[in-house]
Amino acid sequence: MNKPSAPNIIGRARGPRGMHGPAEKAKDRKGTLLRIWDYMERQKGTLIASVLFVIISTLLGLIGPYLIGVIIDQYIIQKDITGTLRMLVLLAVIYTASAIFTWLQSFTMVRVSLHTIRHLRQDLYDKFQTLSLRFFDKHSHGDLMSRVTNDIESLNNSLSQSVSQILSTVLMASGVTIAMFSLNWILAITALFIIPLMIFTTKKIIKYSSNYFIKRQRDLGELNGFVEESISGFEVVTLFGKEKKMNLEFSEINERLRHSAMNADMVSGFVGPTNNFINNLGLGLLIGIGAVMTVEGMTTVGVIAAFVTYSRQFFRPINQLSSLFNMFQSAIAGAERVFEVMDETPDIVDHYNAVSIDSLKGDVEFSHVDFSYDNSRPILKNIDFQVKAGEKIALVGPTGSGKTTIINLLMRFYDVTTGEIKLDGQNITKYKVSDLRKKIGIVLQDTFLFSGTIMENIRYGLLEASDKEVIEAAKMASAHNFIKHLPQGYQTLITSGGSNLSQGQRQLLAIARAILADTDILILDEATSSIDTRTEMEIQLGLSHLMEGRTSFVIAHRLKTIENADQILVIHNGEIIEKGKHEELLKKKGFYCSMYESQFMLG
Amino acid sequence: MNSMKKLLHYIKPYRWFAVLGPILMCIEVAMDLLQPTIMQKIIDEGIANQDNAYVIKLGLLLLLSAFIGLIGGAGSSVYAAKAAVDFSSDIRRDLYKKITCFSSQNTDSFGTGKLVTIVTNDIAAIQSSLIMTLRVFVRGPLLFIGSVIIVWTTARELFPVLLAAIPILILFIYYFSKKTGDLFSYVQKAMDMVNTKLQETLAGIRVIKAFDRQSYEKKEFHRINNLLTKRNLSAEQVILTLMPLLMFVVNIGIVAGIWLGAIKVNEGTLQVGVILAFINYLNIMMNGLMSSSHVLMQITRSFPSAGRIVQVLETEIDIVETDYPVSPKKVFGTIEFKNVYFSYSKNGEYVLKDLSFTVKEGETIGIIGPTGSGKSTLIKLIPRLYDPDSGEIFIDGINLKDYSIQGLRSGIGFVPQKATLFSGSIEENLRYGKDEATIVDMESAAQSASASEFIEELEARFSHFLTQGATNLSGGQKQRLSMARAFIREPGILILDDSTSAIDAISESKVQQALNRTFPTTTVFIISSKISSIIHADKILVMEDGKIVANGTHEELLSNSELYQDIYQTQQGRQVAANE
Repeated sequence: MNKPSAPNIIGRARGPRGMHGPAEKAKDRKGTLLRIWDYMERQKGTLIASVLFVIISTLLGLIGPYLIGVIIDQYIIQKDITGTLRMLVLLAVIYTASAIFTWLQSFTMVRVSLHTIRHLRQDLYDKFQTLSLRFFDKHSHGDLMSRVTNDIESLNNSLSQSVSQILSTVLMASGVTIAMFSLNWILAITALFIIPLMIFTTKKIIKYSSNYFIKRQRDLGELNGFVEESISGFEVVTLFGKEKKMNLEFSEINERLRHSAMNADMVSGFVGPTNNFINNLGLGLLIGIGAVMTVEGMTTVGVIAAFVTYSRQFFRPINQLSSLFNMFQSAIAGAERVFEVMDETPDIVDHYNAVSIDSLKGDVEFSHVDFSYDNSRPILKNIDFQVKAGEKIALVGPTGSGKTTIINLLMRFYDVTTGEIKLDGQNITKYKVSDLRKKIGIVLQDTFLFSGTIMENIRYGLLEASDKEVIEAAKMASAHNFIKHLPQGYQTLITSGGSNLSQGQRQLLAIARAILADTDILILDEATSSIDTRTEMEIQLGLSHLMEGRTSFVIAHRLKTIENADQILVIHNGEIIEKGKHEELLKKKGFYCSMYESQFMLG
Repeated sequence: MNSMKKLLHYIKPYRWFAVLGPILMCIEVAMDLLQPTIMQKIIDEGIANQDNAYVIKLGLLLLLSAFIGLIGGAGSSVYAAKAAVDFSSDIRRDLYKKITCFSSQNTDSFGTGKLVTIVTNDIAAIQSSLIMTLRVFVRGPLLFIGSVIIVWTTARELFPVLLAAIPILILFIYYFSKKTGDLFSYVQKAMDMVNTKLQETLAGIRVIKAFDRQSYEKKEFHRINNLLTKRNLSAEQVILTLMPLLMFVVNIGIVAGIWLGAIKVNEGTLQVGVILAFINYLNIMMNGLMSSSHVLMQITRSFPSAGRIVQVLETEIDIVETDYPVSPKKVFGTIEFKNVYFSYSKNGEYVLKDLSFTVKEGETIGIIGPTGSGKSTLIKLIPRLYDPDSGEIFIDGINLKDYSIQGLRSGIGFVPQKATLFSGSIEENLRYGKDEATIVDMESAAQSASASEFIEELEARFSHFLTQGATNLSGGQKQRLSMARAFIREPGILILDDSTSAIDAISESKVQQALNRTFPTTTVFIISSKISSIIHADKILVMEDGKIVANGTHEELLSNSELYQDIYQTQQGRQVAANE
C-alpha cells in the first residue's frame, strides 16, 4: 500500500483485515490444512496421545450418566445399600479418571499447538531474514507484524481448542446417537430432526452478521490508523493548533465505529439465545411426543428421562460446533496469509557456485548500470565508474538524485536492472551475499539502533568483540565522551528505535558500530549529517585513519568533508554528470562548482 | 478494580440499557430453570394420569417459556451491546480529547506508543469485559443462585452436600483466577519481547542485512520464541487444571448426593425423583459457576487496561491558560527570555540554565552549538510546548503564560527537526498551516520553500496523495513541505529547527533568500549546526551545555567567542584555504 501510484482509498485503514478485503475464507483451504498438518506432524507422538485421551475422556463422560441410571434403578430402588456403596465407589473412580484424562487431553493438545506455532513463528521470522528489501518495500510493517502476531495467535487458539473439541463433539454425538437409537428409534429421529434446524439458523445468522463484522473491522482499522498517526505526530498537531480538527475527525470515525460495532455485537449476541431456544424447542418436542407415546404404551417414563439427559449432552456441543468451525475457518485464513509470506521467493540469493571472500582488495567497477525499483521509472541511468583499491570516493548531488541507490546496489540490497558491478574484477553476483556484506561496512542515512545497551549496539558490528574493543571503537567515533557521561555509561539502555538519544548521538553510535566491524570497504551515507561540526572534525580524524588503505565511499551534503576525495562523482537525476577531483571540478565551472559556491557564498 | 469504578460514571447515560440487559437475562435464566419443573409435571401428572389435554396444555406452556426465554436472551444481548459499545465509545472520545489537550511534557511521560495502545487495545479490552459482565457474568451467578434455591426448596435433605461443595468450588475459582493473572502477565511480557523483536527487525532490516546478522537475529528470535512457548505452557498448565478440578468436585458432590439420597430412600424419607432433580441442578450450578469464573478471568485481565485509561484521564495537564487569556490579533515578534531554567526530568538536571536575551521584531536569530547543548529545547519554549521551571518569557511584552495557547501558536510558524506529515493530499497538509489557504497561497509558500519544483513534477500536483508517514516522499521533499506548511501561516515568528538537514545547499540558499524577501518583518529563529546557514543572522546565540556562552553578529563572535571561532575554523577554515 506504500506505492505512490496506488493511494489507499480508505486512507487510514491499515488494520490487518482492512488490507485483505472482506473474505475471511481461505482461498485454498485444503492446501493450507495440509501445510498446517506438516507442522503438527512433528508432534506426532503427543498428538496421538492427545487423541487417545480425548477418546477415553469422552467415553468416561458417557459412562457416568448411564451408571447413575443403573444405580438408581437396580440398587437404590431395590434398597440394596451395600450394592449402592460399591457402585458409588466405582462411580467416584470413573469421575476421578475422567478428570485426569480431561486434563491430560487439553494439556497435550495445548502442547501440540504451542509447539506447532512456535515452529511456524520461527520459520516465518527466518523467512523475513532471507527476503530482500524489495519485499519490505512492498509490505507495510503493520501488515507483516499482524501476520506474525494476530494470524499465528488465532491459529494457536484454534488448534488448542477447536481441534480437540471438534473431535470430542463428534465422538460424544455418535456415542449419544447410538445410545438413543438403542433406547427408542422414534424419539431418536425426533431428536436428530433438530440438528438441521440448528445448523440452518446459525448459518443464517452468521451470514447476516458477517457484513456487520466486515464493517466493524474496517472502521476499527481506520480508527487505529488515525490514532497512530495523530498521536505520533502530536507535536505538529499542537504547534499548528489542530487539536479541534483532530478531535472532530476522530469523533466522526468513533461514531462510525460505535454504529458498526453496535450492530456487529448485537447480531452476534443473537446466536446464543437462538440456539438455546432451538434446544428448548427440541426438548419440548421430545417430551411431547414421548408423553403421547407413553400414554399409548409405546415407551416408558425412564426412557424419556434418559432422552432428556442425552439430548442435553448432544445439543450443547453441536451448538458450539458452529462457532468452533468459524474460529477454525478464520484461523485457516490467517494461516494462509502466513504461508503466503513463506512462499515468497527471495530475489537476491547466492549463485549456485558462489565464491566466498577471504578479503577484498577494494577495486570497484560499475559498468553501464541501469536501475529502477518498479521497472518503469529509471532511478539510475548508465552509471559507469572505476575505483582503485584504497581510494576515497565521494558521491554528491541534490536530494533524490540516486546516491543512496548506488550504495544499495553495491551492498546488493537490490540487483541491477542492466549492466554489472564488479568487485576485485569479479561480478558481485558471483560472491556469496553474506560474505560480500560482511566485507563492506556501512553507516546508513537513518541510523537504526536496537533496544538493548549501548555496549550491545556497538558490538552488533562485531559480535565477538571484547568490551575493550567496543570502547576503543567508541573512542575512535568520538562517542566515548557522551557515553561516559551517561549515568549507566555503556550499560545505558536504548529504547526501541533509540529515541532517548539525540540524532547526533545515534549517528556516533552507528559510526562506532561500523568502525568495530573493521571491513575492507567502508561506506558513509550522510553519516555525520546531524553531528555538530566540532565533533564531526574529531570523527573525521578518526575516520581518516580508518579509511587509510581502504576503499571508501562517502555521501555528504557538506562538501567540505569530501574535498580531499580521490574522486568525486556528481550525481543528478540518476546520472553521473561530472567526475574528478575537487580542484578539477571547480575549474570546470559546472554543477559541482555552483553547488560548492552556493555553500560558500552563504558562508 | 478501583479504576474500573472510576470509569463507571460513563455508564450513567446508558444505565437503563445496563439495567435492562441483566433484567432480560434474568428472564432467560428463569425460563431455563422453569423448564425441568414443567417437564417433571408433564411426566408426574400428565402421563401418570393419562391426561392428554394436560400434556398438551403444559407442552404449549413449555413452548411459550422457550419463546419468552428467546426474547429475554436476544433482548439482553441487544441492550448489553448497546450499553457496552456506547460506554466504550464515550470513553474513547473523551480519552482522545484529553490527549489532544496534553502538553509535550504529558505526552513524554506516557510515550506515544503507549498512548496509541491505550486508545485502541485497552478500550477494546474494557468494552468486551463490560459486555461479558452484563451477559455471561449475570447469567452464570443467576443459574447458580437459582439452582441453589431450588435445591433448598425441593431437595432440602440433600442440601448439606451443597454446603460442603460450594465453599470448595469458590475457593478453587478464587485461587485460580488470582494465579492466572500473574501467569498471564508473564506470558504478556514474553509476548511483548517477541513483538519488539519483530518490530525492530522490520524497522532495522537494512542494518541487519548490512552487517549480515541474519543468523544472529534468527538465533535471538529462537531464544525469545522458546521463552514465550515455555511461559505459555506453564501458564496453560495451570489454567487448564481449573475445569477438570471443578468438574471433579461437582461429580464427587453427585456421588455424595446419591449416597445421602440412597440412605434417606432406604429410610423411606425421600423420593427417588428428588435425587434425579438434585443431579440436574448440581450440573446447572456447575455450568453457571464455570462460565462465570471463565468470564471473571477475562474481566480481571481488563483491570490493568482500565487502570491505564484512568491514568490518562486523570493526568493533570501542566500547560494551562489563565482565566482571562490574551488572544492577540497578530504576533509581532519581540521576544524576551528572563533567567529561564528548564529541565525535562524536573529533578534539577537543567537542560537550560539561566537564559536571558532579547529579540527585536523582524530580527533573524541564529542558534548554534554542539549536539545536546539545548538549542531545540530553547525554541520549544517559545510556542509553549514546555513551560520553564523558573524565569519568564515575554512575547510582545506579554508573559507567555497570559496568552491563549491557540492565539500564541497561531502567530508562530514552526518547522520541527523531524518533518512530520500526515496521510492525505499535499493540499491538506499545507492547509494544516492555514485552513483557508487559497491555491495561490499554496503555490507561493511552496515556491518559498523550494518545493514547487518537485510538486510540479507530480502528476496530481497539490492533490498528490501522501501515505502514512509520507513514505512516498524523500527526506528532502518532506522537509520542504514541512517548511511550506509553516510559511503559509505568514507567521510573526518563524522557527526553523535544523530543518534543512536533508536539503542540498543550493535549495537551502534559495529558501533563505525567499525568506528575506517574503517575510521582512517576521522574527526568524534558525537552529543549525552549519555556520553558513546563520552567518547573516542579526544575532547569533552560541550555546554550550544549556547556557548561552556568547551572543552577537558573526563578525563580533569571530573576534570574541572562542567556541564560535572553533566551529568556524572547522567549517570554513579549509574552504577558505582551498579558495586562496
